[in-house]
Amino acid sequence: MNSFSPRFAVFLIWSVWLMLPTAASSQGKADEHATLSLVTEQDALVRGKQLWIGILFDLHEGWHTYWTNPGDSGEPPRIEWQLPTGFQGGDIQWPHPVRLALGSLADYGYEDQVLLMAAIRPPEGLREGESTKITAQVHYLVCHDVCIPGQKHLELLLPVKMSAAFSSARPLFVAARQKLPRPMPWDWKISATSTTDEFVVNLKTDKLPKPVQFFPLHAEQIENAAPQHSTEVPGGLRLHLKKSEHLRKPIARLEGVIVLASGDAYLLHIPVAQPRKAHTQSKN
Amino acid sequence: MKHNQWWNLVAVFVLISSCHAVKVGDSAPDFQAMDSNGRAHKLSQYHGKFVVLEWHNNGCPYTQKHYESGNMQHLQKEWTSKGVVWLTVISSAPGEQGYVSAQDENDYMSKMKASPTAALLDPKGDVGKLYSAKTTPHMFVVNPAGVLIYDGAIDSKATTEQADISTAKNYVSQALEESMAGRPVSTPTSRPYGCSVKYAH
Repeated sequence: MNSFSPRFAVFLIWSVWLMLPTAASSQGKADEHATLSLVTEQDALVRGKQLWIGILFDLHEGWHTYWTNPGDSGEPPRIEWQLPTGFQGGDIQWPHPVRLALGSLADYGYEDQVLLMAAIRPPEGLREGESTKITAQVHYLVCHDVCIPGQKHLELLLPVKMSAAFSSARPLFVAARQKLPRPMPWDWKISATSTTDEFVVNLKTDKLPKPVQFFPLHAEQIENAAPQHSTEVPGGLRLHLKKSEHLRKPIARLEGVIVLASGDAYLLHIPVAQPRKAHTQSKN
Repeated sequence: MKHNQWWNLVAVFVLISSCHAVKVGDSAPDFQAMDSNGRAHKLSQYHGKFVVLEWHNNGCPYTQKHYESGNMQHLQKEWTSKGVVWLTVISSAPGEQGYVSAQDENDYMSKMKASPTAALLDPKGDVGKLYSAKTTPHMFVVNPAGVLIYDGAIDSKATTEQADISTAKNYVSQALEESMAGRPVSTPTSRPYGCSVKYAH
């Protein structure tokens, strides 16, 4: 058995937990509110050739699950892949989330449908004519007003062939890629300054569709529920992000995903200029 | 710098700090709430003692993780036996998950063998909003001088799985142990994890 990167390592301890009864709730079980399936982009494994696989979440109306940073509450899905020996696996590609406002809180997650995909590469030594089993154990949380944890064991038998064709799930992968954050455009210039209460992000670009929404990759950097005010400045945009109450130390970099009105999403690594002396002295 | 300029600066800093509801290192704001036995509790009456605030919702799977495993009851017992005041706070609004009557809460505590100093009923969410309590559980620790020394998660593993408790670092116990030993709290804040507090909409 081989596992993905350490992040994806198979934690055997969870198998003990699997034997425990699922939490009962008046809202029923998690799989009454979300349908999970294991899908692949191609219909067969080809030795040494990359294949995209993914967990498709079909979320029932009113229910949501979470992004890699869930925001103020909730928890992202965790996928443990179990792949045959010699397979290599990559990290989950997280489509950009939507903001889920809950009164004084804000979460980041997905409604309706989301595909969490990862690339795998079978070894060169794979023999045609055989079949290979791919297994995923998914731990997830679905929430409406209330939350229900769920777990799902999914497996798929894939034939090994000389060449592969697209599977019927191919359009799901195409659609999901549209929502993956891309590297920042080369002609954008971005920086941030740290004030007592805010990070002020300065983005220099010729044309920027509005409005924009910033999703932090890390918890404890910005206050999720605070409005994100943006103002147009010559040659770009200024975005005001309120600092998290949990942020205790200066950060060198603010990382996150910016989503434009067009639906395009970009991954940002924003260098943060530290506050001027007067501000640091305001700490007792 | 002239004297009046200094006073201006001081005034600015007071204004800045008043923007934050609660902040580790600042005085924990006082509140008054009724417990499940009809007794009123004020935070200020516990001046001179450590106080733990535990946000609670018995229908939330994250709360259930810590109660069905016995972890929360163990912490309550351990720390109250060392003189710590443990206040469980329920900020669910009527009709929302986790809202309980006083009798419901007393029945729950006896069934679960929970032993906080008191369970405070906060159906209007006043105490919750004063502290910006976000999740259940969300934990706060106040030191004997009335200063907030911890604000955040109960421990380091943000899951609903009981098996994770034994390998997680418990931030509440850590804050109490370090502070009682006269050391600074090494993790004074963390992202609280759990269900959102079910305030009135």
